[in-house]
Amino acid sequence: MFSDKVEAKDFEKMDPEYQSLVRKVLTIQSDCEIGGPHLYVESMMPTAPTRLDKLIVARTAAEEIDHFRKFARIAGDIGLDVSFVLSLPNQKRYVETFRGEIKTWEDFAVFGCLIDRIGRYQLEEFIGCSYRPIEPLLADIVQEELGHIDYGETQTRELAARGGESKKRVQKALDYWYIRALDMFGHSVSHNSARYVHWGLKRRTNAQARADYIKEVNPLIESMGLRVPDPLQGRHYL
Amino acid sequence: MAQVENAAELDAYLLQVVQALHRTVKFALPRLKDDKEAGKALADCDEILGLVLEGRVSEWLA
Repeated sequence: MFSDKVEAKDFEKMDPEYQSLVRKVLTIQSDCEIGGPHLYVESMMPTAPTRLDKLIVARTAAEEIDHFRKFARIAGDIGLDVSFVLSLPNQKRYVETFRGEIKTWEDFAVFGCLIDRIGRYQLEEFIGCSYRPIEPLLADIVQEELGHIDYGETQTRELAARGGESKKRVQKALDYWYIRALDMFGHSVSHNSARYVHWGLKRRTNAQARADYIKEVNPLIESMGLRVPDPLQGRHYL
Repeated sequence: MAQVENAAELDAYLLQVVQALHRTVKFALPRLKDDKEAGKALADCDEILGLVLEGRVSEWLA
């Protein structure tokens, strides 16, 4: 396994496969950062339950835009222009989860709880990674993602605790996003996944990261009095 | 290695946008019960976010 640390100035000297994987991961990360606000800003800014919630939607979007900015900057340093993802229609996003729209507050809450948590997983993959420019970005971005997760988790728990129709709506949102969350880790048997690990760009394979995620979120879902969805029904990437 | 053209300008533009959003949210948080101030702040956030999500980079940097 590759264990050196690579600076941007040495990027072009690296194996073409390494260069390709770094370009790919920076493009996808940038797309995922800006993909979130594209899912919820238009629908949630006018409809979030309270003014405080609306401000939190705006602050969350601001933080995601800033995450995009930081990844776009280090991509730019190796000649990779990711600015095109700023205007991509949702249907053309790299990751399927970002190809729709969030229309309900329950969706926004569960999205924060489940999908931003995957954002944290993806970022944690880069801790100690071989491409050195990524590492200095991580602490602040992960900290902000933790805030999004915490808010989503609190909202989800409160909506579930109300019982009745509120609980039914949040379960419906959970059924939708849980499957998309598991799919976000990609295929368990993946050539690229193994090569990311080989080149020291990620720490875990797709299957390992997904198993860790399930171990974390299933007890959390049950603690809210919600049902853990069938992990296989509707999945695209097994 | 050649840097992406306008990368620094885009970075500076987005940083300004992010800072403006944070300032607006911070201003509004203690004024949630003030219809006028909070309403104006939310409208400002909405407008700024709308511009960013349109993604017209060439217009921003023109």
